[in-house]
Amino acid sequence: MLRERGTASASTPRSRVAISFGSPAGESGVTRLDLNEILIRNPQAAFLVRIAGAAMREAGIDDGDLALIDRALDAGHGQVVIAVHQNEFLCRRLCTRGEALGLQATDPEVPDVWAGEADTFDIWGVVTHVVKQVSG
Amino acid sequence: MFALVDVNNMYVSCERVFRPALNGKPVVVLSNNDGACIARSNEAKDLGVKMAQPWFEVKHLERSAGLIALSANFELYGDMSSRMMVLASRYAPRQEIYSIDECFLDFEGVPGDLAAIGRELRRQVLQWVGLPTSIGFGPTKTLAKLANHVAKTADRKPGTYPQRLAQVCDFGALRSEELDDVMRRTDVGDIWGVGRKTAPKLHDAGIRTVLDLKRADAAILGRQFSVVMQKTVRELQGTPCLEVEDDPPAQQQIMCSRSFGNPVTALPDLIEVVSGFATRVARRLREQQGACNAVHVFITTSPYRTRDPQHSPTATLPLPRPTADTRTLVNAAVTALRGIHKPGYPYAKAGVMLVELQSDKQEQTSLHLFDEPEEVQPDGRRDLMATLDALNERFGRDAVGIASAVKRSARSTHASRQERRSPRYTTRLDEVIVARA
Repeated sequence: MLRERGTASASTPRSRVAISFGSPAGESGVTRLDLNEILIRNPQAAFLVRIAGAAMREAGIDDGDLALIDRALDAGHGQVVIAVHQNEFLCRRLCTRGEALGLQATDPEVPDVWAGEADTFDIWGVVTHVVKQVSG
Repeated sequence: MFALVDVNNMYVSCERVFRPALNGKPVVVLSNNDGACIARSNEAKDLGVKMAQPWFEVKHLERSAGLIALSANFELYGDMSSRMMVLASRYAPRQEIYSIDECFLDFEGVPGDLAAIGRELRRQVLQWVGLPTSIGFGPTKTLAKLANHVAKTADRKPGTYPQRLAQVCDFGALRSEELDDVMRRTDVGDIWGVGRKTAPKLHDAGIRTVLDLKRADAAILGRQFSVVMQKTVRELQGTPCLEVEDDPPAQQQIMCSRSFGNPVTALPDLIEVVSGFATRVARRLREQQGACNAVHVFITTSPYRTRDPQHSPTATLPLPRPTADTRTLVNAAVTALRGIHKPGYPYAKAGVMLVELQSDKQEQTSLHLFDEPEEVQPDGRRDLMATLDALNERFGRDAVGIASAVKRSARSTHASRQERRSPRYTTRLDEVIVARA
């Protein structure tokens, strides 16, 4: 299936590890918990975004938090998303009202954005997790 | 059937994912040292900006037409490329990564509606990664490349080809007279394997369209032009002459990759392999009087050993300046490898690709000699590497340490000549995009 081609290098690599023992866990055969595997379902669609502002505090998202985005997910009602509005990235909750799509902050003082003729936005990705520094 | 998948205006499209304000605007990406336009948005193409055009020639469009110029951000482009490539690889049994923004997929033995598969691949890459692609299917690589050209051109310039061929174009679904019509609409200069110098000669010989070329006698053209030309004609006629993983006929990029007989796990072994690859591509680069702007390295475990843990990382290291220096390129490749290798994984394949090639003449004109007094060039026409090799030969190996010199100068020159570079949104934590909440 895999074939060699050309005169690729001066040396032919020889593995010193038998194939059946080629586990990253080494001798124990157990793999240490890896946050990447726990948090990221679709690595090719995973992006990190820094949050600036406090309008989403009631959703547990604070100023300075790091949001993990999965662009593979289709955004639905109630999900926290990163949207592009007037060429700016916004972190908001997606709302659907019948056919209408809107962006809402958890802070009631912050006005909604509703997609329509006068104004529109695009969904950039769905926020799946938030990393916040607690100490250190 | 083969498919050619490529990203439309790759570098500009990568920038637009993270800077939506660039959408709809004329944008160019400049080479290292901000010398030449190496990527153009459709709007910039419409302004008449040519590929590889020196920046100073179009700089006036900044004021008059709102042209936006960015410094190349190869770290970003390399990461976005690897995301796209991994997604594309899942759609076919075999993939050949052909350059940073294009790959061939071999669909041999895959049943079903290929155009539908192509549209799903396009949709997924657009949603997951944010990059718009064009996909062409054909029974040979040359035809797949032509189908890709049709898919892209029909999308960008309505009316040039039937609109239903836009974005995803499957030659396998066309009747022969439809395919002939597409070929009649395409200039020979637009296809793979016909260089800028060859096209006028073909025109002189009465071969103006791709259809003319397809109907020509392969053997005669082979004698008149080259073996590449003969292969191109045969491929247009539907006879595959180029396999996946074959070397591309035109040296627009240089890559060396290989599957290993046995998996390789240890870093020192991989360093040896990757160094060998880098040495080889550096030599090939100098043979064609080229210089490159970045080095792309990938290692991958075998997707066929499904029970093995899988790891297929890539890294792209931008170079402080265009170079064809073996030591610099080996150094960069090994640095990239160290960054991505994880212990314990049985890697089945590795590769080194030189990214963003240019002629070494360009390199010399963009050198700022006054900044680098230690790199004296007595004759502007002489090859930089040859000059330095000669110096080293004369004064001893350490007289002019090229790799270290480049490293030293990296910090100072990098910052000053990449003034327009956007943040490295996906590879540096302190440069990720900021969302207002």
